[in-house]
Amino acid sequence: MSGTSPDHPKQNLSAEEVAKLSTEEAMIAGAETDDVFIVHRRERFPIAGTKAEKRAERIVAGVFLLGFLAAVGFIVVFCGAVPYQWKLPGQGSQDFRYFTPLLGALLGLALGAIGIGTVLWAKWLLPEEEVVQDRHDGPVDSAQQMLTAATLVQGFHDTGIARRSMLKTTLGLAGGALAVVPLVALVGAMIKKPNRGQGQSLFHTLWASGVAVVDSEGKRIGPDDILPGGLMTVFPGVPGGVAAGDSPTLLIRLRPGQSIKARKGQASFQWEDFVAYSKICTHAGCPASLYEQQTGRLLCPCHQSQFQVLEDAKPVFGPATRSLPKLPLGVEVVDGTQYFVAKGDFPEAVGPAFWERP
Amino acid sequence: MTDDRSSDYVDADSEFGFSPVVSDNAGRPAKPAGRPRRGLRRRLTGVALLAATLGVVGGGYALIAPTSGAADTSSSGSDIAAGRQIYQTSCITCHGANLQGVEGRGPTLVGVGSASVYFQVSTGRMPAPAQGATEERKPSKFTEQQTRQLAAYVQSVGGGPQVPASGENLRADSSKLADGGQLFRLNCASCHGATGHGAPLSAGKVAPSLMKATDTQIYTAMLSGPENMPVFSDNQLTPDQKKEIVAYVKYLQDSKDPGGAGLARIGPVSEGLVIWSVGLGVLMVAILWIGAKS
Repeated sequence: MSGTSPDHPKQNLSAEEVAKLSTEEAMIAGAETDDVFIVHRRERFPIAGTKAEKRAERIVAGVFLLGFLAAVGFIVVFCGAVPYQWKLPGQGSQDFRYFTPLLGALLGLALGAIGIGTVLWAKWLLPEEEVVQDRHDGPVDSAQQMLTAATLVQGFHDTGIARRSMLKTTLGLAGGALAVVPLVALVGAMIKKPNRGQGQSLFHTLWASGVAVVDSEGKRIGPDDILPGGLMTVFPGVPGGVAAGDSPTLLIRLRPGQSIKARKGQASFQWEDFVAYSKICTHAGCPASLYEQQTGRLLCPCHQSQFQVLEDAKPVFGPATRSLPKLPLGVEVVDGTQYFVAKGDFPEAVGPAFWERP
Repeated sequence: MTDDRSSDYVDADSEFGFSPVVSDNAGRPAKPAGRPRRGLRRRLTGVALLAATLGVVGGGYALIAPTSGAADTSSSGSDIAAGRQIYQTSCITCHGANLQGVEGRGPTLVGVGSASVYFQVSTGRMPAPAQGATEERKPSKFTEQQTRQLAAYVQSVGGGPQVPASGENLRADSSKLADGGQLFRLNCASCHGATGHGAPLSAGKVAPSLMKATDTQIYTAMLSGPENMPVFSDNQLTPDQKKEIVAYVKYLQDSKDPGGAGLARIGPVSEGLVIWSVGLGVLMVAILWIGAKS
């Protein structure tokens, strides 16, 4: 048992003195030079070969062995011991669902075993130690402070910038101009209209006067296709209409006895008991298609905005503040069957706010 | 004080009014005996007799009383007549003698069709204890045969969308699974969840989980639009398209979770819960263990 305490530090040692120390003593002396004092150090098993030591060793060895087996198991499972290809239920063994969990468990076990084994080794077999470290609290001593300050001040005097006014001015110009450069990017981006000259595409969808109303498979939709209380997602019948991100529209047929309190000038957008609203929520753009046919509410699942269809899709709950735009609906007769057509585009931009439409 | 036991207890009429347990000279507690003990036994006997009587009467009633809807169908001969009998036993109070509905109790059934009746009755939602915006799925009170009879009767009175014949295959082939999935995601997933486990609607209502629904129940729900669910007519979703959706919902019911526990299949919320509670907990324990003095 050896060691020093913070109250009895060893002196600075020379190389010859260190060479005379044993390895353990040298380690303790080295720690001291960093103000770390090992005050207590003792072998856990000073008598080699006791039963307790052997038992500790065997347990740690067992943990490492477990890690070995888990890693080997991982390789075996990965290389085909467990099927991994997905099969339809009823058309093949569903054991593929064990592939990923097995890989995860075995890898976790392998890594964990090495970690746990190492920690147990340290806890049970390494020497006991108690160490005290000097805290080095408080400010630097004043002599050091004054020396540092003097270095800085002398450096400033050496540059001579106080008397070299031409250098001072030109350095100021260069630095000042450079400081403005990042501001230009920031402020400039806020001044310029980001979408000017790009055709106002955010204000228009693919709907226009005379465009047919079709379903997701391109089939034209007519009044006979929806029963009272029904709801259908429809698209403009133009090339790219079904895939366009801003054009999905909800076609709703009201129940008998339900009527809409229309917004100003939009009462004619309805056709008998059919009404069409943009599907894109005016809050953040999710499809607001949860329709409750009895209460007339349209719910958006993302942030729970609710639009009351009977009040012309006015938001009655949640973060949305603008009504859903209404599509003007009309009907044309083709081959004796009635089909829906749009009588124009949405009267306002669909979806959430953007720079030109806050 | 003496060996005479009778002086070791206090009479019920004494000043105490009860019979305290007192100890005799040998230190053993003496049991209260005599009149107070007889009173206790009388009370216990009375309670036991009451319980037995109640049990006999209640059990007898349960055995003897007729079960709901247990009309003698064999003597009627036709489904509609049998359905009428079931209706008049179980449905007439809220839905009226002519299916016209009763104010404040039940809506009219004219025009709802056998599809609606089949769905509501086979999922146990009807008979309902009270009118409300959402009825919960319960064990059905009627057998399949009785349900179809009731549905046939309502269809005969008011007409409406019809339940497919029993035995008809309502599930499209598995080659149509992708089409069914596309239709499901377009029409159904917003309310019922992408995995069919249900999702909330406004004001406390819920679009229920589809995990227990049978083929016919899914089909008739689409056709009849129960409660707040929209109606999907046969023109809007053709019968073939409806069968594709049924096949997809069946697939959702049967598919196993690849890659471990599904955690109720609601996505990041449950996964986050497990990571934060179990995962972080284990890590904290490990950290404390590693740093503990040894």
